[in-house]
Parts: sequence; C-alpha cells; structure tokens
Amino acid sequence: MSDLVKFTLDGRELQAAPGTLVIDAAKKAGIEIPAFCYYEGLSLQAACRMCLVEVKGAPKLLAACTLPVAENMVIETESPTVVDARKFTLEFLLTNHPLDCPVCDKGGECELQDMVFRYGAGESRFTEIKHHVDEKQWSPVVFFDAPRCILCYRCVRICDEGMGVKALGVTNRGAYSEITPNMGSHLECDECGACIDICPVGALTSGIYRYQTRPWEMDHVGTICTHCGDGCKTTLGVRNNEIIRGNNRDRSGINGEFLCIKGRYAFDFINHPDRLQSPLMRVNGKLEEVSWSKALVAVAQKFSEIKAASGKIGIIGSNRTSNEENFYLRKFAQAIGTPHLDHRRTGDIATLLDALSGRADALATAEDLYTAQSVLVVGADLAQQHPFLAFQMRANWRHHQSRTFVVTQGPVREDAFATRNLRAEPGQEIDAVTTLADDLKSSGDLIVVFGDSIRGDSLRKLVSFIASLGVPAKYICLLDYSNSRGAFDMGLIPGDGGMSAPEMLAASDLDALWVVGANPLADAALASQNAFVVVQDLFLTETAQRADIVLPAASAYEKTGTVTNTCGQVQRLSKALNVMGAKPDLDIFHLIARGMRLDLGPAQPDKIFSEIRATVKGYDIPLPVIATGGAALTNPVNGNVPHAAASAALVRGSRDTLFTSGTLGRYSPILSKVMEAPGGLYRK
Amino acid sequence: MIDEVIGSASAIAKGLSITLKEMLSPTVTEDYPDAPPKFQERFRGRHVLERDEYGLEKCVACFLCAAACPADCIYIAAEENTDRVRISGGERYASVYNIDYNRCIFCGYCVEACPTDAITHGHGFELAAYETSALILRKEQMLVPVPEGVKPPVIKEPAPAGH
Repeated sequence: MSDLVKFTLDGRELQAAPGTLVIDAAKKAGIEIPAFCYYEGLSLQAACRMCLVEVKGAPKLLAACTLPVAENMVIETESPTVVDARKFTLEFLLTNHPLDCPVCDKGGECELQDMVFRYGAGESRFTEIKHHVDEKQWSPVVFFDAPRCILCYRCVRICDEGMGVKALGVTNRGAYSEITPNMGSHLECDECGACIDICPVGALTSGIYRYQTRPWEMDHVGTICTHCGDGCKTTLGVRNNEIIRGNNRDRSGINGEFLCIKGRYAFDFINHPDRLQSPLMRVNGKLEEVSWSKALVAVAQKFSEIKAASGKIGIIGSNRTSNEENFYLRKFAQAIGTPHLDHRRTGDIATLLDALSGRADALATAEDLYTAQSVLVVGADLAQQHPFLAFQMRANWRHHQSRTFVVTQGPVREDAFATRNLRAEPGQEIDAVTTLADDLKSSGDLIVVFGDSIRGDSLRKLVSFIASLGVPAKYICLLDYSNSRGAFDMGLIPGDGGMSAPEMLAASDLDALWVVGANPLADAALASQNAFVVVQDLFLTETAQRADIVLPAASAYEKTGTVTNTCGQVQRLSKALNVMGAKPDLDIFHLIARGMRLDLGPAQPDKIFSEIRATVKGYDIPLPVIATGGAALTNPVNGNVPHAAASAALVRGSRDTLFTSGTLGRYSPILSKVMEAPGGLYRK
Repeated sequence: MIDEVIGSASAIAKGLSITLKEMLSPTVTEDYPDAPPKFQERFRGRHVLERDEYGLEKCVACFLCAAACPADCIYIAAEENTDRVRISGGERYASVYNIDYNRCIFCGYCVEACPTDAITHGHGFELAAYETSALILRKEQMLVPVPEGVKPPVIKEPAPAGH
C-alpha cells in the first residue's frame, strides 16, 4: 500500500488511503455527508447531487461520492454554500414528489423525509401542478409509484449487481424518466424484494406489507429464516401477534441486508387456513379433532405398550426443528431403546467431515465466500438453491475480482462471471473438476462448494484431488433445509442395527412410526399396515393423512432454540409470536415423555443447549456469540455420530428452487402467487 | 335609635336590590340534565371522526394520532381502498379505529397530529359506563353521519365469475 494521502476536512487534518472517496473518508471521521444514490457495495452513480461539498480551488461544488481524496485537498461539508446547495437539491427532489407521507408506507423510515427534516427548507416555492403517474403493480410482490421516485438508481444497481438479475432499467428522459421492469409491464425476476428495501423513498412498496401498518407500530424480532440452509437472519416486524413483514435493514446476522423471497415474504405459511390448530386422532377410520390431553395420553400409552412388548418403533426427525429438539428426540429414542432413528439427509456432510479427518479450519462460511480468491462450485445451482451463498460469490467477484469455476449439469447464473464453466452429468463431475487442476493451482486460496450429487466415494475423490493441488482449501457442503446440519450433528442417524428412514417405511413388521416435521410418505408408501403412526407437523401432509394421531407443531418463528446452517454456524431463533393450538415440538416430546414416565431431564431450550455444548462434539461454542444473535462456527469434527451410520447412498437433495420450500413452500401463498413459481434448476 | 332603623332599612333595600336585579337578569346556571349543557368551542370532549364533502371518511389510517397519544389509547388497523371498496379519500382507510376511554386523557394531541383533520374533539361528555369494555369506542360509534344529499361510500358487489 502506498503512502496515505493528507487532506483537510472541515478544518480537521485527516489521512486516508489513496483512492478513498471523500464520502467514505468523512464517514470514517464521523462527519455525515448526506446522499441518496451512494450505496456501500454498489457501483457509483452520482445521480442525486445530495452529497455536494466545497473543495478549495474548485470552481463548483463537487460530488463527494465520486471524488477521491487528493494530497492537500481542503474540503468543507458544512459551509453556507453547501448548506444552500443541499436545500436546493431537496427542493428540486420535492418538486414532483407527492407529499402523501401520511399514506406512504415509507413514512417514518424514509430517507427523503429525514433529509428534508434535517437539511431541507420548510417551504417549497414550486406552485405548479406536480407531474402525476398512476401507481403500477409489477408483480404480486412489487408495486411502483413513479412520482415518489427520486431516480437514485439504487434498485437498478442492486438488481443488476447484487442479484445478477438485471430486471430493472430506466426509460424516458429528464423529468419523465421512470424505472421500468424488464418485461415492460411486469417483473420476471427473483422477486427478492431487495429493490423495495433499498429504495430510500416509498416509490417501491411491497405487496405484502403495503398499507398494513407503520414502521413504529411493530416490534422487530431478529430470527433465522426457516427455509433454506443458508441461515440468513430475518428481522420480523410483528404487530398484534402477527408477522407483517420481514427484512434485515439493520444488517445484523451473517447476511447483512441480503434476503431472498423466502426470507422476506414467505413467513405467510403460519397463517395458512389449512394450518393445524388442534390434535387429530383417528376414530373409526377418520381423523377427528381431539384435545391435547387425550391425544398425548393415547400416544404415550401406545408407545409404552409397544416398548413393553419390545416392538419396533421407527422415528424420523426433521430438518427444520431446532438443535435442542433434535437432541431431545435422540435422547428420547435412546430412552425407549430404539435404534431406528433417521432424518432425510440432503448433503453428505458425514463423508466430508470423515475425509477431512478433523482437520481444523477446513469449513468455509458465507463470509469466506466473499473474501476467497477463488471458488469452485460443483453440482449446484447456487442462485436457485442457496441464494445467499451465490450473492456472496457475486459480490466477491465484483469487489475483489475473485475467480469462479463452475461444474454443473446445466446452465447456472454463476456462468456469467465464471472463469471457466464446465457441464457434467450428476455423478460425473469429478472427471470435469480434474481438468481444472492447472487453473485451480494458480488461483490462490480456494473454497469448494458442492451439492448432493457429490457424495461417498466421489466426495472422497474430490477432497483428495483438492488436497493434491497444494492450495489452501475450505469446503461448504450444501445442505438444503434450515437445520439439516443440526439434525445430523445432533445424531438423528440410525444407531447400532437401526433402520434408515427408507428401511423403516419398507419394514412390514414396524409397530410404530413417529414422524416429526417431515413428509416421507410424499413419495413412498408405508409397508407396515398395522403400524401406529404419530405425526408432528404444521399441516396435514401426505404423511399426516396416514397418521393415527397428528399433533400440531409450532414453526421456527414461534419458538426459541438454535439452528445450524449449511456452513456449520450455530445461530439462535427468537420467538416472534404466540401461536394458538399448536405447541413447539420440544414441548410435545416432553409431554409424551412425561406420559411414558421417562426422565429425559429439563425441556427448556437454554438448558438443553448447555447440554449440547457440553456433550456434542464441535458444539463447545462461545455462548455470548449465540446469545447476542451472532453466528458461531462449529468445529469440523464429526458431530454426535460415527459417520459409518450415515450411508452416503441415502443422501438426497430437496431440489428446491427460489420459489419452493418443501412443505412450507406449498403452504406459503406468496411463493405460489409469483408467476416464476415453482421455478426450476439449471435453466438459462 | 332612628339611625339604627334607617341603617337596617337601607341594608335590606341594598340586599333586596341585588336579589331583584338578579331575578331580572338571565341565569348562568346550566339546567343540565333537564336541558343540554353549553360548551366553549375549545372544549375537548368525546372524539368525532369526520367525513369529507363526498361522505368519504377523512381518516387515511396514517397512525400519527396513535403515535402522538401519550396514553396509548388509540388502536388502528389499516386497509387499502380498492375499486370495489372505497371508504376514505386516500389510498387507505382505517378498517378498525378504537379509542379506549379508560385511558384517554383528552389532551388533544391526536387532533393536533392529524394531517387530514379527520379526528376532532366533539363536545360529548356523557361517557360513564357500567363496564370498562363499554368505554372502548369503535369507529362506527365516533363517525359523523353521512351528510344529507350525499351518497354514502358504496361497496360494490364483486363482478360475477368469468368477467
């Protein structure tokens, strides 16, 4: 790094690296230069003229957002000329901007409102009629009110640069310029809503949040999105026990401001009319609503009977329940002496951890994806399946010119910036990867991101091939659901002589099947005709329809606990709202255990988490990080289970796209309403 | 002795003169409850939700009254006006507007905060109730009637299927 540049800002002698923009240097020195179009992480626009500053010797005011500091530069940010310029800029912005703040959704958190309050003039001299354009709906998610737009181009840039979608542009000229979607009248995009959140004014508004409430009326609860395995933090706006919006404007959590449609809008499954609100019990062949006590007594009684008769009880756990619940369920299985415990595994993390044989520092996080010099993606359509990881890679390429290598079965969005992209059928990817050896060797530190087709032997081959390159490498094993990693780490895996989930379904002598938050009967049949089936779920799924007793469960937004994301980071769930009728799975386990007179210890999430930290390998993570809403990385050692129990052949990805999310996706009205749904993988 | 008689007589005359004067002048005492009480214009009584000249509600559910309320007694739920349902002049309207008179302190901040002059203080003061729940007034109880000669906001029937 060359020498620091010396300059004077508002009479203060400062130093900054050459090339630093005045607006950034000022921010670092604690001086605010107001701006609309300038946005950290996006390309420079210099469209709004709000950040004008006075530079000694320059004939006119200069835009601080595009002006790099220079040696001996003297900058004034509060001189009378600058103050006047800001006032006039705001007056110009307000010429066509309607003063409908009382009905505008942005009112109360609007940057223009704040700026006018702070820097603007109290009155406008503009008395002519404002140019009006009717509001447009571009998609079920996005509404656009053109007169409110101040043409800062933030939405255009976040869509193009951040998402790589390029769905927005600008048409017409001058005062008639207007943001326009890619399909003329409507949007065909990721429907992520990033443009809405980034809009400094109320020009872009969300179809979900629109006219529902005002920002100060809500409680904001930061929790972890329950959809894919990336573990994004979503801050839910809750009013009257109802989630009204999701966003992450405070940039807390690993994902900063990023969220996809699922994190931002697909919380609506919790209010779906088909949501179960009462336990169901099969009476004369039909499921009927019964009380909780009746249902729980029936389950406990039946389980006790089968246990006393040494019958076979199969337990299938969930990818979406918390670590605490999964841990407790495993304890339950041990207490009733059944080795038949499993869950649907969506990635071969077992083989990866075994192949790495406890090597420290071998698992990458999403943060590493932003800083690594090169990334190799094998067998995954990241933009569809793991949008946050894809976003990080894209940002890394834009900001650091990282090199990306893609080996997939079809076209993916990452092709656009990939150094090399190869096509290979699932299972054949390793051969293609080996042809990249020279490129990978010369590209610096590497992160390998791989999907469900890389498992067992081919994964071992991949790890030994990467090791042979001699470059520092880290891995991300893609897992598809919000707590897939946690379910594996907590040991929802067959014990000695235990059956896997498909074997349980195929066993004709199974006496009982207990399914927690999973839907194995969606694409398989239960062989045992007389099996007593208990299902805990939010909805009457195919599995629940076969059940003898269905217990309504609470969703991740309705309970506390921790989840582990696909990179192995543990984060805490916060309870956003109370739920009627349903109970958290942990409470249900506890009540059944009590009915069976089993002593499984306390059933409070906090206490169980202490137990997890003490007993599960790799989970001795710092508590303050978790407690303050941070993400703590687990150590890359094989969680709670010997890898041998987790057969690689059973790994099966969910193949969810941006617009599907297993059972929850089916019951999310917004996911099914956007015209892109259900989307598809490996499409141009 | 004579002085005493004259003195007493003048005192009685003086006293009676005031009595007679007051008998002839108009009364200031209110006859409430036999007659309605009179108020100063500025009196802050029970709130009234206003309508505009077209009979539409003035309230656009901006929540500013609820934000200004120091007693936190105003509850609003907003909904969007559509082609079929048009309740207010703005883009949205208050589908629920409750004031909890258990808590209201009649400070008038809500009236001051209202950007559309939708909420005003009326002169209603007979708020006593036998139970606290009756002190939570709904929008319908506070709205002024639709002015005469103006059609009330129409809720159109949904178009039949297939159109």
